[in-house]
Formats: sequence, structure tokens, C-alpha cells
Amino acid sequence: MSVADRVPAPDVVLPVSALLAAVATWWALTAALAIPPFLLPAPAAVAARLAGNPDLYLTNAAATLRKILVGGAVGITVGFSLALVVWAVPLLKRAIYPYLVALRVLPKIAVAPVFLIYFGVGFETAILFVALIVFFPVVVGTAAGLDRTPESHLDLLRSVDAGPLRTFLAVRLPHALPDVFAGVKQSVTLAVVGAVVAEWILSNDGLGSLILVASENVQVDVMLAALTVLLCVGLLLYGGVALCYRAVAWD
Amino acid sequence: MISVEDLSVSYGDLRALDDVSLDIADGEFVTVVGPSGCGKTTLLRTIGGLESPTAGRVSVDGDPPEVAQADARLGFVFQDHTLLPWKTALENVTFLRRMAGKDPEPAGARELLATTGLDGFEDARPSELSGGMKQRVAIARAIHLGADVLLMDEPFGELDEITRDEMSVEILQLWRENRKTVVFVTHSVPEAVFLGDRCLVVAGAPAADGPDSSTENGTPGRIVAEFDIDLPRPRDESVFGSEAFGRQVARVRGALHDDA
Repeated sequence: MSVADRVPAPDVVLPVSALLAAVATWWALTAALAIPPFLLPAPAAVAARLAGNPDLYLTNAAATLRKILVGGAVGITVGFSLALVVWAVPLLKRAIYPYLVALRVLPKIAVAPVFLIYFGVGFETAILFVALIVFFPVVVGTAAGLDRTPESHLDLLRSVDAGPLRTFLAVRLPHALPDVFAGVKQSVTLAVVGAVVAEWILSNDGLGSLILVASENVQVDVMLAALTVLLCVGLLLYGGVALCYRAVAWD
Repeated sequence: MISVEDLSVSYGDLRALDDVSLDIADGEFVTVVGPSGCGKTTLLRTIGGLESPTAGRVSVDGDPPEVAQADARLGFVFQDHTLLPWKTALENVTFLRRMAGKDPEPAGARELLATTGLDGFEDARPSELSGGMKQRVAIARAIHLGADVLLMDEPFGELDEITRDEMSVEILQLWRENRKTVVFVTHSVPEAVFLGDRCLVVAGAPAADGPDSSTENGTPGRIVAEFDIDLPRPRDESVFGSEAFGRQVARVRGALHDDA
């Protein structure tokens, strides 16, 4: 039996225990200090909210997920393609790559109000916003990854006159994949943030919108229920990307 | 046959090789020995078409190296094993042949791996192989390519001495069985003597181009001595301890130090 076979048990038991302890403490606090439910509802109240109207949360989760997936797909496709072009045309790379790197510092959330003026409220605007947020880590990761191929591997392919396309597909692209995925992993987390912000400012549906409306009505239990669902959505996406990565990764 | 005529190679203003001429017969095992930066790797890479001559010419069976590359007649083995980390040993062996546009022959590749002692490691990734095993895969890959000429650039440079000696014996066995022309660059004098039919000593260092370069900046790389190694074949580990081997090593060392 290898070490890996023996370790997982405590890896699961401890975190789950910690979570249960945290929920128990939460419950104990609300009960012992008699905190009014409109300030901090007990865990059971939040669970009751979820169970009482699952359709509300599922519909909104689906709306948020749709923005993340469509916006993410657009952002990843455009980011990856632009990185290819920038990498293939050195002149272009020298001209715009510094700005691509510098623009990463800009908080993209600050751009949302600008989008509101140009594109109005709606699904498309939200998609555009999520795509913008996803775009930067992917473009920078891909561009960096494409330069990662060791010179000696390129020599090897040149020594049999393999040609640029074959070299690209067989050696350059696989060498770049870890960096591409590092970018995508960053993007996923950002995409969830982007979707929620888009739902506050650029559209009227989804978990973000639900949280905002609940906040206006001081429905802390609804907010916590929506946040729990949002957390699950984020974890699901991150896990999905990690699984995809494991399927193609070599490092 | 490989023919090098009045070859000079410069990188920008720096001349790495100056006026080198050399013929290598089919099936010959030629070793090139010299200190780091003397131009021996440049010579090998130019023969293989990875660098272009600044003056002079190189031909492989009468063709320029680029033509030989396209026909998959040149098999490189680098100091860095250059195995693709995401491919298994077997896939790495067949990979280069595929890149050359030839059909891979998995059966032949398996057999090659077996003769290099990698039985049972066909499906192992490079990260699961030792340094010596990786270099064995790289050598099998060059042979599987079907190249007539093996161009080896310090292939054992990163291996420990015990593994190096083992690999030297193995490469001679492979050479006997496959009858390739081999150009083998190394900075180990014993290795050069043990392996070669002929050992070329290269010395010099990159120097500024120009008419007065040799007086002001030292001399760029050139062949300063050439030795026929008349140790009987087949050679095995026992050669390392023989008196004749020691004498040859001393002669080659002498030539290297005379120049320095």
C-alpha cells in the first residue's frame, strides 16, 4: 500500500469535522445569545429557505452559471486566439503585450458602469463583462506558455525538417498547456466574481441579483442561502477545470 | 559520406569555427573532443544543418544538410535528452519518425527499447526514468528514425561516470548492430578514445572576425590534431584498464594541453 492510499482518510475527516464544528458554533451562538433572525438566522433557518423554495435558487443558479459558462467560453476563446496571434507576430507582441500585462492591474469591475452606458442592461452585456474578466489571465498565460518550449526540442524537430505547423501542434502547444490552464484556473474564480457583479449592475437575474434584492429587503437568510449556492457553483466550476487539466496535463 | 570543406561559422561578429575541413566515411565512428566553448558543438550542429556555414560547405552523401534533414537521414542525440514529458518511452521513440513524415513501426521501436535494456519501461514517462534510461530512449529514437548518420552532442554529459562507461559499451554494440556513421562530441578524453575509430581534437575559442583576429583575440575553433584509434574492436569494459588505452588517452591529452 502506498502512502497516497493511506493518507486520504484524515484529509476528508478533518475538514468535514471543522465545517460541522463551524456550523455548530454558528447555531450555538444564535441560540445562546438569542440573536434576532433578521440579523443572523440559525443554520436551520437558512436550510429551510433553501428547501422551501429550491426552484428559486436553482433557476437563479442556472442563470449565473450560464453567464459564467458563455462569458468564460468567449473570454477563453478570444484570449487564447489573441495570444496565438500576438505570439506569431513578434512585431504585434512588442507593440501590445506590455499593455496586456499592464491592464491586468486594472480592476475590471470598475469597467462595469462603462459597459452599462454603452451596452445597456441584459444578458449580452453580462456575457461581455465576464468575457473581459476571463480574457486577461488566459491571454497572458497562453503567451507565456508558448515561449516555454525548450530550444533543444525545437532543434530536434528542425533536425528532421518537421515544419512550423507540425512543430506547433506536437511540441509547442503541449508545452504551453500548463500555463494556459494556470490562466484558465485564475479565470474561473474571476468569472464567478464577474458574473455576480454583472448581475448587480448589468442584468436583473441570477444569484447576484437575488443577493442584492434580499439585501434591500434585509432578508439575511435568503442572502446566506444564495451565497451557499454560489459557493457550490464556484467549487463545481473550479473542480471541473481541475479535472479537465488533469486529463490533458503532463507536469 | 560526410564532407566538410573550409568551413567557418560565425555568430554575429564572433567566429566560432575557422577553416575546418574533414571527411567522414560511411560507418565510421568519429569522436570530437575539446574544452567547453571550443566550437565542437558548432561543428556538429553545422554538419546536421542546425547552424549555417558562414563560409565553406558541408555535404552529407553529396547533399546539403537541409536535404538530408528532410529525408530523415540525420539523427541527433543532444546532451539534454529532449524527450517529451507527456509521452511514454515508446511514444517518444516513434515520435521523431512521425515528425519526419515516416510511418512509425511500433514493433521495431519495442525491439530497440529492449536492446537498450528498457524492457518493461515502454509505457513509462520520462519523469519515471533515470538519466541514463532517458538518454537510452533518445538514442533509440534516433536509430528508429532510420537515420544513416548519428550526430551526438555530449549525450552522456549529464550522467554519472559509472553510467557513462556502461552507455559507452552499449552505444558501441548498437553501432555494430546498426552500422551507422557516428559523429560523437564529448569533453571526456577517455570517452573519445574508447568510442572512436578516429578522434579529432578541437581547440580555440570564439574570436572577433577580421583579418587580424588571430593575433589580437586568440584563435577561433579549429581541428588541432587527429588520432587514429587502433584499439581492437569489439571493445568492452576491459579496454578501460589496458595499457594501449592509457597510451592513447595520454596522446590525446597531450595534444589538448599542447594547444592550451
